[in-house]
Amino acid sequence: MKKLRFYLALWAAKTVMAAMRLLGRNASYLPGKLAVKLCPDFLAHLRPPKTVIAVTGTNGKTTVSNLLTSLLRGCGYTVTNNALGSNIQGGVAAALLADASLAGKVKTDVAVLEVDERSSLLVYQDLKPDYLVCTNLMRDSIKRNAHTGFIRFLLDKAIPAETKLILNADDLICAGLAPQCQDRTYFGVSAEAPATGASLEGLDLVYCPNCGGNLEAEYLRYDHIGRLRCRNCGLSSPAPDLRITAIDRAAGTVTLAQAGGEQTYRLLNDNIVNIYNLCCAVAVLTRLGLSPERIAAGLGAVEIVKSRYDHVETGGLKITMQSAKGQNPGACARSFRYVADQPGERKAVFLLIDDKGDSQGSSENPCWLYDCDFSPLADPSIGQLVFSGPRCLDQKLRAEIAGVPGERIALWPSFRGGGHLLDTEGCRDIYILYDVYLEKEALEVKKALMEKEAGK
Amino acid sequence: MIAEILFPEVCGLYGDAYNGNYLAMACPEAEFHFTPLTETPYFSDHPVDLICIGTMAEDTQRRVLDKLRPLKGRLEALIDAGVPILATGNAAELFAKRIDYVTEEKTAEGLGFFDVTVKTDLFRRFNGKVLGDLDGMTVVGFKSQFSFLYGDNSDSYFLKCVRGVGLNPESKLEGLRKKNLICTQLLGPLLVLNPEFTEYFLGLAGVQARLPYREDAMAAFRQRVKEFQDPKIQFGHNR
Repeated sequence: MKKLRFYLALWAAKTVMAAMRLLGRNASYLPGKLAVKLCPDFLAHLRPPKTVIAVTGTNGKTTVSNLLTSLLRGCGYTVTNNALGSNIQGGVAAALLADASLAGKVKTDVAVLEVDERSSLLVYQDLKPDYLVCTNLMRDSIKRNAHTGFIRFLLDKAIPAETKLILNADDLICAGLAPQCQDRTYFGVSAEAPATGASLEGLDLVYCPNCGGNLEAEYLRYDHIGRLRCRNCGLSSPAPDLRITAIDRAAGTVTLAQAGGEQTYRLLNDNIVNIYNLCCAVAVLTRLGLSPERIAAGLGAVEIVKSRYDHVETGGLKITMQSAKGQNPGACARSFRYVADQPGERKAVFLLIDDKGDSQGSSENPCWLYDCDFSPLADPSIGQLVFSGPRCLDQKLRAEIAGVPGERIALWPSFRGGGHLLDTEGCRDIYILYDVYLEKEALEVKKALMEKEAGK
Repeated sequence: MIAEILFPEVCGLYGDAYNGNYLAMACPEAEFHFTPLTETPYFSDHPVDLICIGTMAEDTQRRVLDKLRPLKGRLEALIDAGVPILATGNAAELFAKRIDYVTEEKTAEGLGFFDVTVKTDLFRRFNGKVLGDLDGMTVVGFKSQFSFLYGDNSDSYFLKCVRGVGLNPESKLEGLRKKNLICTQLLGPLLVLNPEFTEYFLGLAGVQARLPYREDAMAAFRQRVKEFQDPKIQFGHNR
């Protein structure tokens, strides 16, 4: 009876998927949602590919999933992934059923599945990943993710003991994940270690997760990412099995050390967050048995997804687009820090980080703005800020409390437009920081600025 | 004024840290003690005029209770003396009789200043808003929580809910109050979001202060009140 229900769900979902595709829709969620609705343990009945890799973590899971998919395809593997769709149960089901036969056998060699941390229990109870990759665990949406302790609790409960873990050694919250899993590989970055003496105050990890004792940081790279040690019980960041030991920005390479020697890889993006992502992807491929030479060759042909970062210059006006991930305090703060750290004395920031969903029939909770460090925006090199969207008044107040002079701030209470408020005569380096769901609106601002510059 | 912000390094989730920070900005002449969890609270053997504590993780909540239980008598004396104390988010739960962590199958004895109990279920996250009335003053805020409180607060509430839920989905009376002890599950930078309430709260400590960026804070407050009064705005849901 159960099997019959599964087949009915599979065929119905595949029919809906085919119909949606005929209509030009990408069908990356709804058919999966339907399949799970008709057969709640749908994922348990599918016969998955030989290797299933789940990629989770607060930041970087999309980048790592895309990178793994590109590299594996480049190496000749057929890959199922949910890059175009959602990372919750329905999206995972949709990705798998798209590549499944009418008998329920997924026909690819490997599945690389980005899985939302909150969906872990629903997904892993039926689909046991061979490998689970966790990029990092940090503060995220208040509404969904609460705090890192809660996400750790969910993942610890959800991850099957037989799954092989690939974890960030420089994130002590992530490194301790799912102690029931014996097979653990750690990746990290030891190159360009920052100065010592950093404070953990206000971060997600202040006291030892093991004994509650005081933690001390050998160094911190960003947030709680770094090397930590408990003064009381001695718990410390684990030694990485694979680590980046050198970053050569001029040559565009990194050196990665592992048992058996060192290998040079192409540096795809020199932001430290993406260096961790690169190291993570190499660690996964190494665990899959790919040789360093093969991985290096594959990296020569891939790029970080462009929508997360783009830079154009027109008539001397520089426009940088960067995804800032609204409601994610750490990701936003890093994008603010990025702007402040860039060279130039005539910068302006256009901020578009409201939650688009909450703007319809709700009123967004602005509390996360106070978990986010706005102080980089007070940098004197930033001459002007335009805060756009319904929560612009909240953002202005937050920025002022962080030390940004109010007279530098202009407000535009809509998602559309607002680019005209930018003083492109005084500020020639424009940074458009936008939430992933506001990319279209951000591109409109960019286009308007370029047209204005071209029309001069 | 001598003020103490309790355990800010772990009790400042969701922007709650900015309640203390905003007060410190508003009162530059005051003496502020930001006491970490590893140290003895300043109030235990010193006079204080105001105390704040904010939202924390559930395991931290149990550690905080272990820290505060031995100081219950001292806290009671401060409450009886009318010292204003603000506990936001799940810090409010510390003052209940008991907290039942149903998912983790644990129980913690609370400080017991109110005859209410707490049920914390990590598989049920409630997100909501409150448009509240404090004796004619409007207070707005947000809830994001795993817990509800159960018991009778009809003579010990903080706000009447014009919209939104109180102690639990069946309640329209938000929070708990005993003299100037204010316990509310509204979380985040409540004082930044509510400048008039902040002035009222400081007034309980005998302080009149000009709030930083008051005009901008009031503009944001008025916008939120208007939105919260809009019947099209949804007020709460589980995720």
